[in-house]
Amino acid sequence: MARVYVSTVVNARNDRVWARVRDFNGMPNWHPAIAESRIEGGEPSDKIGCIRDFRLRNGDRIRERLLGLSDYDMFCTYAILESPMGVENYVATLRLTPVTDGDHTFLEWTAEFDCAPEREAELVDNIGSGVFQGGFDALKRAFGG
Amino acid sequence: MPHIVRSTILDAPPAAVWNVLRDFNGFDRWHPAAAASSIERAQPADKIGCVRRFKLRDGSELREQLLGLSDLEQTFSYCLLDTPIPIFNYVAHVRLLPVTDGNRTFWHWESRFTTRPEDRNSISEMISEQIFQAGFDAIRQHLKEAA
Repeated sequence: MARVYVSTVVNARNDRVWARVRDFNGMPNWHPAIAESRIEGGEPSDKIGCIRDFRLRNGDRIRERLLGLSDYDMFCTYAILESPMGVENYVATLRLTPVTDGDHTFLEWTAEFDCAPEREAELVDNIGSGVFQGGFDALKRAFGG
Repeated sequence: MPHIVRSTILDAPPAAVWNVLRDFNGFDRWHPAAAASSIERAQPADKIGCVRRFKLRDGSELREQLLGLSDLEQTFSYCLLDTPIPIFNYVAHVRLLPVTDGNRTFWHWESRFTTRPEDRNSISEMISEQIFQAGFDAIRQHLKEAA
């Protein structure tokens, strides 16, 4: 099973960062790779089990199911249902933790999945350095560092 | 039950921070509150269950026991056995996590304990500022001097 772990620090309080990322249907508002998103069946985007159907700027379409969301622990866990990436059993978690020494937020974004062995290094790099770090860089810009 | 949580970011890779923190008998080399430290019965400082004896700057002593330590997770937990101040059921956890964006370290330090209601605020403040935050500041200095 392949694993991805990417983490960063954003110079804003965790409640402000959480307000920006908690909406499971809101990735186009903050992630530069996501063009549009909708929740299937008209369900609320914080209903556990809801499915988002989104389109990337490169045209790819991905469907993901919300597995867990906590406003108390500030994390969001989801699984890929359909994607052109060639991954199986893909589960990812975005987690925020306050840094009490200064009003900062520690963010971790992790994923686990199965794939063809020869594609693992490329997928880990695309997901980690591309998708996850790309989102972190956008958040850091949005919050000034 | 008071729950103290403090965290910081250090400009050093996790391995360098862990190298300092994992020595359960080494706090007197960096923490301003600890004047001297020894492990009872000459046990190794990474033997789970070992007891460290601290002499504090004011001359008082306290004893703490190592409950768990993981080089894989870069975590350890310990509890207070004897202290000169009225803290009971004190258990603390230290956890390091890598900040991959910049090769830095996130350090999370938390504890839970019970005490008399009239001591609750002053002891919470003391642990939060003089133990945890002072420890963060001291490690930052210690790593700078070691570099």
